[in-house]
Formats: sequence, structure tokens, C-alpha cells
Amino acid sequence: MADKSNDPVAIWQNMMGEMEKGFNAFANRAMESPEFSKVVNQVGGASAGAQNQFGELMDKYLANMNLPSRAQMVSMAERLQSIEGQLNEIKALLHQVHHNSGAPAGGLAPAPRPPRTRRPPSAGGEQK
Amino acid sequence: MNAHAGLDLASIPERIQSEVQRAIQRSIKGVEYFATSGPALGSTPKDILHVRGTMNLYHYRPIANEIYRVPILIVMATTNRGYILDLVPGQSFIEFLLKRGYDVYMLDWAAPKPEEKSLRMEDYVLDFIPDCVRHVERDSGEADLTVIGYCFGGVLSLLYGSIFADGPMKNLICFTTPVDFREMKLFQNFSDRRYFDVDRLIDSVGNVPPEMILSSFEMLRPASRAASQVQLWENIWNDEYVKSYRMFDRWATDTLPLAGEYFRTITRDLMWDNKLYNDAMSVGGRPADISKITVPVLHAVAEHDHIVPYDAAKPLIQKIGSADKEEVILKGGHVSLVAGANAIKRLWPKLDSWLGERSI
Repeated sequence: MADKSNDPVAIWQNMMGEMEKGFNAFANRAMESPEFSKVVNQVGGASAGAQNQFGELMDKYLANMNLPSRAQMVSMAERLQSIEGQLNEIKALLHQVHHNSGAPAGGLAPAPRPPRTRRPPSAGGEQK
Repeated sequence: MNAHAGLDLASIPERIQSEVQRAIQRSIKGVEYFATSGPALGSTPKDILHVRGTMNLYHYRPIANEIYRVPILIVMATTNRGYILDLVPGQSFIEFLLKRGYDVYMLDWAAPKPEEKSLRMEDYVLDFIPDCVRHVERDSGEADLTVIGYCFGGVLSLLYGSIFADGPMKNLICFTTPVDFREMKLFQNFSDRRYFDVDRLIDSVGNVPPEMILSSFEMLRPASRAASQVQLWENIWNDEYVKSYRMFDRWATDTLPLAGEYFRTITRDLMWDNKLYNDAMSVGGRPADISKITVPVLHAVAEHDHIVPYDAAKPLIQKIGSADKEEVILKGGHVSLVAGANAIKRLWPKLDSWLGERSI
């Protein structure tokens, strides 16, 4: 078997692992400082505001070009999601009706549930 | 072996040949990687029992011929999708539970819509969870159940359990659940109240965008994404490695937005005032003191959890009111604790042996 300490691939992988750990540890130390929090939140807060203004401007531009905005596309996706959701609700209601009725006329009988009698091996039950 | 150099000279040609073959395989598989989609996730057969807004309740179809009397309700973290617990056959916690004879339900979350930005903590704890519990009771015909909460799903389960301490929760299992938020040091710093204006953020964005949540997770280990991509390239010849990478990468990047008001409460009550740890938490005006929970509790924590460090999770067992309580510290990280090869060997069998005797 090859000696791992001389295997260039193993050395490379080990070096990568150490670099990752070292960089993460270094970055975590830097991120623990209050200065980091201050800068990140200033930049983050400013960019959230700027993003909003830019978004409004783009909406006007796209409306002039007779093109849908991202918000409109997202809204369409949400409507589709909502239709899917309603279908799921109908499915859930059907499932409930099916479950409550036992054996609906013309439909399949609900799958029988296994009995709730299982006991753990420690209580003399059997692992099946 | 060359004793002087400590180098096995005879193995060098073999090693070079193996590396050349891997390089060729990398090129072929690299093309395949971009041309194909990953494995189908979350495919254990289930029925959607109840859907309302951001809330989805699933019932997984039993596999065993005989099941335990007490059903399980899994409460997922609100930031992530539930399929982490149902990856692929053979690596699915759900499938494991079904095979071991449990009746499993899951409360999974969909992305809250812009108009759901006003969802509050009380909507989750006093409405969504109790609503699901009622559906589980009705569907299973049983008057009690075991609740399993993962990460922030564990926090929601603790809040629920402390407010509804008289039942119907019979057992509580938490995975990597924070209680002392002071100990989540980097998140604390990101949300430092002197600089982080949560009101301004929520008022400008409505719901917290998933990109922001994902970046805050990734900032905890800033080099890891780049390193994982290098590792992927090195191992792209290995189908099993690639499959595993794709599953976890897809799940990790499939982050959910958080409802604005709910996020505001998390920031103010938990991150800033650490109310859960300080026994000062209340939800919708109802005190939520975890010492009121007296049912059997198991808390599984990961030794190398960078998201919920052990010190943040440790007080759960100390503060809970139960006499029958146990903390288990297992090797692994925040995700590998519950999913993947480590979980199959460590957490799942432990959970089965603990829960089986409490599910009759």
C-alpha cells in the first residue's frame, strides 16, 4: 500500500482541507468583531433600500416597453402555485371523504391501515 | 517499499495510471453532470393530508404489517424543505421509520407568499402546529403523538409543548435545537442590535429573501462552498460521491424565505433578548416556559455543528421539566447528524431504540 505521507494526491487533499479550515477560522474571527457587524449591516441596509428604488424604476421601464416585470412573473408563478395548492386541498378533502366513508360507491376501498399493536424488541416484540 | 525514502517506488506507475484514468473519467462525468439532473428526492409514497397557506401536512404510507400505537409528527425547520429527511431509498429517515413500524406524518413548509409577510410566531405555534396535531389525531384515531422537531422546528415544538403541556404530545424529540441564542455567536454578531435594523429590513422587503438566509448560513463557513466544488471536481469520477453531493447541495440551496413578522420576533425575542433561555418567552400572550414540558424528551446534538453550536443546544435538557430526558451527542455536523451515512449508523438506530418503548 502506498505511503499516504508521500502520495501527492493525498498531500494535495490534506492541504486543501487545512486551507479550508484555516480560512474559515480566520474569517470567523474577523466576523466576530463589532466592526464587521457595523459594516455589513450598513452596506446591507443601504443595498436593500437601493434595490427597492431600482426595482421601482425597472418596473416603470418594463411597463413602457410593454414587457412583464419580474414581480408580475413571480405573481403568475404564485397563482400557479395557488392553483396547485387548491388542487392539493381538493385532493386532501377527497382523501378525507374517502377515509371517513369507508367504502365509497364506485370507488376503491381505502387501503387498510396496519394494526397499531407493534411492540419494541425490548418488550418482547419482533423486528419485522 | 523503499526504506530510505519511505516511498513505494513500485506503486508510482500504477498511481499515475489510476490518476490518468480518473482525469479521463472526470472529463466524461463532468459533461454528464451538467447534462443530467440529480436524483429524485422525497419520493417515499405519501398523501397530502392538509394544506393551508405555507403549511403542508403529509402522511407517509405505512410499510410495516404492524405499527406502533403512537404516531409521529415531524416539524420541519421553517428555513428548509422536509425532503432532507427523505432523500433517496436507503438514505431516508422517513423510510427507516416506516420500516421500523412507525406511523409518520410531517409538517413541511412552503415558501410564504408576499401577502403572508404578516404571519407571526403565534400563527406557527398556536395555529399551524395545533391544526396539524388535530389532523393527525383524527387520521390516526389516536389521542397522543410523538413530536420530532429539527433545528428551528425543534424550537417551535418546544414552544408548542410548553404551551400545550397537558397534551396530546406524549414524547418530544429534538434534533440540534438551540435554546441559548447568545451562544450562536456569529448569528449574534450578524444581528447585533446596535447595527442591524430589523424593522427597516422587514418594512422594505416584506418576507426575508431566501438568498439572504442562504448567505447567512454560508458566511458561517465562507471557504466551504469553494472547497466543496474543488472536492466535487476531484471526485466527479465517483458516482456515489456525485449523487451525495447533488442531494445535499440541492437541499442546502433550496432555502425558504421567512415571513417578515415571524423573523422580527425571532430577532427581537430570541436573538436579542434570549427569552427562551431566560424563561421569559411568550407566544401570543401565553407564557412558553420549557420547564413546563414533562413528557419524555430526547435531544440529539452534533459534535461539529457550525450552525447550532453545542453550547447553544446544551441548556435544552438542563431546563426541560421532564424526569425522563436524555441528550445524545453524536459525531457529525448540523445536517449529517440527521441525513446521510453518519445518521444511518448513529442517530437513526439510537432514536428507534429510545422511541420504540415509548410508542406503545
